[in-house]
Amino acid sequence: MAEKKPVIEFKDLTFHYQLQEKPALKNINLTIYEGEYVAILGLNGAGKTTLQLCINGVIPNMIYGDFEGDVIINGMNTQEYPTRELAKVVGMVFDNPEFQLTQTSVAEEVALGLENLGIPTEEMRGIIDEALETVGMDGLQERSPFALSGGQQQRLAIASALAMKPEIFVMDEPTSNIDPIGKEEVIAVAHKLNKEKHMTVILAEHEVEVIAQFADHVIVIHEGEVILDGTPHEVFAQVETLEKIGLRVPQVTEFAYKLEHQYGMKIKEYPVRIDEAEKFALETFKKKQ
Amino acid sequence: MRGAVIPITMVPGDSPIHKIAPLPKLVWSFGVLIISFMTRNPAILGTIILAGLVLTTVAQVWKPMLKVMIVLFPIYVITIFLQSIAPAFPKPWTAIIGFGPFTIYQEGIYSGITMFGRALGMTIFAMVTIMTTHPSDLFASLEKIGMPYVLNFILTVTLQLIPILQREFATVLSAQKSRGMKGTGFGAVLPSMVPVFVGAIERVQQLSISLESRAFGSSGNKTSYRNVVMRAKDYIIMVSGFLAVGATAYWIIVDKSLDWSRTLTFSPTLALSLVLVSMAIFGTFVTIALVKVLKA
Amino acid sequence: MSESLIRCENLTHIYDGEVVAVDDVSLDIKGGELIGVIGQNGSGKTTLVKHFNGLLKPTKGKVFVKGRDTAKMRVQELSRSVGYVFQNPNHQLFAKTVHEELEFGPTNLGLEPEEVEDRVNKAFEFFNLEKYRDSHPYRISFPLRKLVGMASIYTMRPDVFILDEPTTGQDHITTRIVYNLIERLREEGSTVICVAHDMILLAEVVERMLVMRDSLLIADTDPKTVFSDKELMASTHLTPPQITELSYRMRDNKQIKNLALSVNEMITEVGKHYPLKRSK
Repeated sequence: MAEKKPVIEFKDLTFHYQLQEKPALKNINLTIYEGEYVAILGLNGAGKTTLQLCINGVIPNMIYGDFEGDVIINGMNTQEYPTRELAKVVGMVFDNPEFQLTQTSVAEEVALGLENLGIPTEEMRGIIDEALETVGMDGLQERSPFALSGGQQQRLAIASALAMKPEIFVMDEPTSNIDPIGKEEVIAVAHKLNKEKHMTVILAEHEVEVIAQFADHVIVIHEGEVILDGTPHEVFAQVETLEKIGLRVPQVTEFAYKLEHQYGMKIKEYPVRIDEAEKFALETFKKKQ
Repeated sequence: MRGAVIPITMVPGDSPIHKIAPLPKLVWSFGVLIISFMTRNPAILGTIILAGLVLTTVAQVWKPMLKVMIVLFPIYVITIFLQSIAPAFPKPWTAIIGFGPFTIYQEGIYSGITMFGRALGMTIFAMVTIMTTHPSDLFASLEKIGMPYVLNFILTVTLQLIPILQREFATVLSAQKSRGMKGTGFGAVLPSMVPVFVGAIERVQQLSISLESRAFGSSGNKTSYRNVVMRAKDYIIMVSGFLAVGATAYWIIVDKSLDWSRTLTFSPTLALSLVLVSMAIFGTFVTIALVKVLKA
Repeated sequence: MSESLIRCENLTHIYDGEVVAVDDVSLDIKGGELIGVIGQNGSGKTTLVKHFNGLLKPTKGKVFVKGRDTAKMRVQELSRSVGYVFQNPNHQLFAKTVHEELEFGPTNLGLEPEEVEDRVNKAFEFFNLEKYRDSHPYRISFPLRKLVGMASIYTMRPDVFILDEPTTGQDHITTRIVYNLIERLREEGSTVICVAHDMILLAEVVERMLVMRDSLLIADTDPKTVFSDKELMASTHLTPPQITELSYRMRDNKQIKNLALSVNEMITEVGKHYPLKRSK
């Protein structure tokens, strides 16, 4: 296996928002490698957003507080680079698609970042079309962002960040305010960014089944601390730990857990995805009574 | 609240007016503004209004124009009544006829009609400009002649926010009605404003982080996506606008005979009818508006 | 108890004279029901429920609440019987304290101060929000604000609660609290109508599903029947909960006979065909 490059490193990070006694993040030590699809799981207020804002440098450059430790993005220490420099490496979208849009047309929205970077006007069109194509919205260039569906708006926000050609893409609960079809569209784009465009994707999400299906690295945050850090199988196997902090596991995992703990069955590895659950069922329940 | 929005926004279209670049249109609109304030001559103001109506026809924006006029026309028209009894005009005043406790004056009618004409003319030109120009093109043009980018951005965002905040307000009203709130009086509207403000603040917070993440506020070279090209005909229109305004202004200053304020007389019947009609139009408008608000 | 609380007779709603949002819907809702209304954005589900408290009036057809024609009633009047909890609590909350917020509704209904106080206290107890009585609504966390939103309608004691996306975007703890609240509301005799995308809510909590698609009511039945109908699910772009999906496959693999809407149901189903002995 090729030597994987760490693209995000958290080193002993502790952060207090201004005038807050309780730290929002405590002793965070994490390494995320190039090309990973990382899911961040935690209760409301656990620190997911705070953690993500440390990746693109908004914390500590735009939001002030007591920042101890280091966050290194692609070799750059976030305390030494302005947000606009980090914006070229880290793209980010947030949980309310409409709140991120301001322009009168889709194309202009995507152009916003390009204008700020001083990209020549002649080059803009190509970049915009490419970004829109990646999110499946090529052809909607002249539409008003506010006439789009929730899923389309969020994909537009993604395209707008994509135009800056980042290597890392951070998504803070991008599907929590959209309808199911839109949710599927956005998750599909995230998957595409990771698998086809080879971006490192960081996704904060509540739906554990989605996490299990797509992520290869899961980080669980509780009250500002990292409680679990591993593959979906490693993390979701810790059913009791998760339950204690108020989180649940994928239903098929819960199923396997109950079979083991309530019905004494010996199970080697709990399934987390539907396909492996089907296989698990076929192997476990061999003879029909 | 559907359809209660006055369409002060661009109306998509393909007319010759739409095809003119933003700057020439701005020049003409400002020109009209300047001339309107320089003179009270009803003939000049009338010509401006007629020209505006012609432009409205060419631009094919009659429907939205009428929607705007339904609200503004009554408001402008009431100046005729107000001015007729209390002219904003140097004394002496010539009385025409008594009207209840008031007296209608020559100068008042003159003043009222001219003020009305001014407002109408300027509005028509401004509306035609707004309705045939894409806001981004407009702001990009202004930026080219020196308006700071930040202002452009603020204007764009504000433009987008107005319908959004209207929609938010409507939602909040629905929510409060669903809690039994009676819909009238200031005390009722105030609880509705807080959620709208909070929503706006939350929006701005998330927006500012989103913008920061897209390198907003970078110093250094900033390029523009919107590329407004001024063609020969646009320059011609713009220059002719400057010339027209200049010439008319000169004419107004030089030709004293344009001041008809003491020479135009109104018969008592005409004066009274004008006043009554303006009151009727305004009264109807106010009644309909009140009914709509109370029924909501 | 078998009288209808809400009845729609050939309800049609057309926006701006052109857009048909709800087309010829007839249904009957009684007291004590737990209903889920689902459908994609634009299917008409929100338009439909807005007729129940009078926010919208029918273009054609009629809607009756407790026997009265809503066309002749104002929202404020209907709020006595039908409470609508908006999806975003920020759209409702404006007072300085949670206490004031809860007082708003019953005060608007013209109740005596003692009655208002009594209801407010009962609400604090029911929702377990006593700790936040004097807190500013915007200084508490968003999940708590959602609960305050629900509580502020609870104090109006409507017969029907309409909850617009009560669990969307919420974490697991808050979601469970909301499921629990819904069931307790029903225990008190209320009808709860949830407009939601939360598949687990629909599979495990509600008892009746109204499925909207392109302005039509295409199904009005229990969740199991809806989830069993794969074509229906596909045509409305709804994905069943993971465990239900597993039960589809296990049924196709001839391992179990019926669908499971929850993990416990799955275990029961499996137990019907394979030896499972409880060890704890």
